Amino acid sequence: MSDLLVDSQIRGWVFLPIVVITFLVGIVRHYISILLASQKKIELQQLQDSQVILRSRLLRENSRFIPRSSFLMRRHFFNNEENGYLTQKRPPVTQNMMTDPTMMTDMLKGNVTNVLPMIIIGGWINWMFSGFITTRVPFPLTLRFKPMLQRGIELMHLDASWVSSASWYFLNVFGLRSIYALVLGENNGADQARQMQDQMSGAAMAMPPDPKVAFKAEWEALEIIDHQWGLQEVENQIVYPLNSC
Amino acid sequence: MSNKSKTKSSDVVAYSEVAMRNNSAVVEYCRTSMAALSGCTAGMLGFTGLYGAAFYIFAVTGLWGMLLLKAGSNWQEYFVSRKALLTNGFFGQLFTYVLCWTFIYGMVHVY
Repeated sequence: MSDLLVDSQIRGWVFLPIVVITFLVGIVRHYISILLASQKKIELQQLQDSQVILRSRLLRENSRFIPRSSFLMRRHFFNNEENGYLTQKRPPVTQNMMTDPTMMTDMLKGNVTNVLPMIIIGGWINWMFSGFITTRVPFPLTLRFKPMLQRGIELMHLDASWVSSASWYFLNVFGLRSIYALVLGENNGADQARQMQDQMSGAAMAMPPDPKVAFKAEWEALEIIDHQWGLQEVENQIVYPLNSC
Repeated sequence: MSNKSKTKSSDVVAYSEVAMRNNSAVVEYCRTSMAALSGCTAGMLGFTGLYGAAFYIFAVTGLWGMLLLKAGSNWQEYFVSRKALLTNGFFGQLFTYVLCWTFIYGMVHVY
C-alpha cells in the first residue's frame, strides 16, 4: 500500500501543525472581525424603503390568508398610480462609494480580516513547510489533480494521490469552513442570536442601492399576483368538530 | 427541533418561517458533525477508495434515518419533505468528510 516511506517526524512537525494553525487562524480571524465590526449607519429613508419592500413581500407570500378585500386594499396602498408607495417618484440617489469615508474603512477592514491573513499565513506556511510530502489521500486520483495536490513538488513519477504541504494547507482552508460554522456557531450564543436577527431582517439590512429598481420589481410581482382565498372551508373544519362532541 | 413548523388544515399548509429556518440550521449542524465524525471513523478504519464513498453514503442515510426516527411518525410537522432532508447538502458535506478522512487516514495509516 504505502510504496513510499514517509518519515514519521513529518507527522508531528508538519502535518499536524498545519491543521492546527489553519484552524486557530480561522478562529482568531473570526474574533478579530467581531472586534473590528462597526455599527452601520442607516439612513431613515433607506430603512423605510426596505421595510416596505419586506412588507409587500410578506403580503405576496401570505395573501391567501386574508380576505380578498383586505388584499386589494393592501395592494392599492402599494401600487395605486397616484400615490402608492411603490409607484412614487424619487430623485435618484447618488451615493458615491469612494467619497464616503465609512465605506472606505469598511472595505479596509474586510481586507484586513480576510485577505491579509490569507497572504501572510499562506506565505509563511509555504516558506516554513515547503517541499514536504505530508500525506496521501485514501482514494485514487487521476493525473489532472497533480498540480492541485502537489504544489511545490515537481516530481513526474509520483503518484497523484500524494499531497504536498502547501496543498494540504489549502485543502484545510477550504475544508474547515463548515467546521467553523459548527464550532463558532455553538460557542457564542450572542453571536448566533445576532446572526439570526440579521437573517430575519435580512432584506431590511441589505439596502438596495437604487430603490427605484427594487420598487419596480416589487410592483410588478405584486401586480401579477392572483388572489386566492385559502381558508374556504375553515368554518366547517373548526366549528363542526366542536358541535359533534 | 422542538418547533412546530406547520399547522395543517386539509390542503392549506401554513409554514412558520422562523421555525423552518431554525430546523434547517439544526439539521445542518447535525450534518456537519456527522460528516466530521464519519470521516474520522473512515480514516481510523483505513477505508480506501470506494469503501470510503460507500461509508459516506451509509453515514448520510443513517443520519437521515435517525432524524426521521427522532421526528417520529409526524415528521411533517418538522420538515417539508423527506427527500430534501436526505439530499440537501450531500455534496457540501462531502468536502468535510474527505478532509477528516484524509487527515485521520494520514495520521494513522500513512506513516
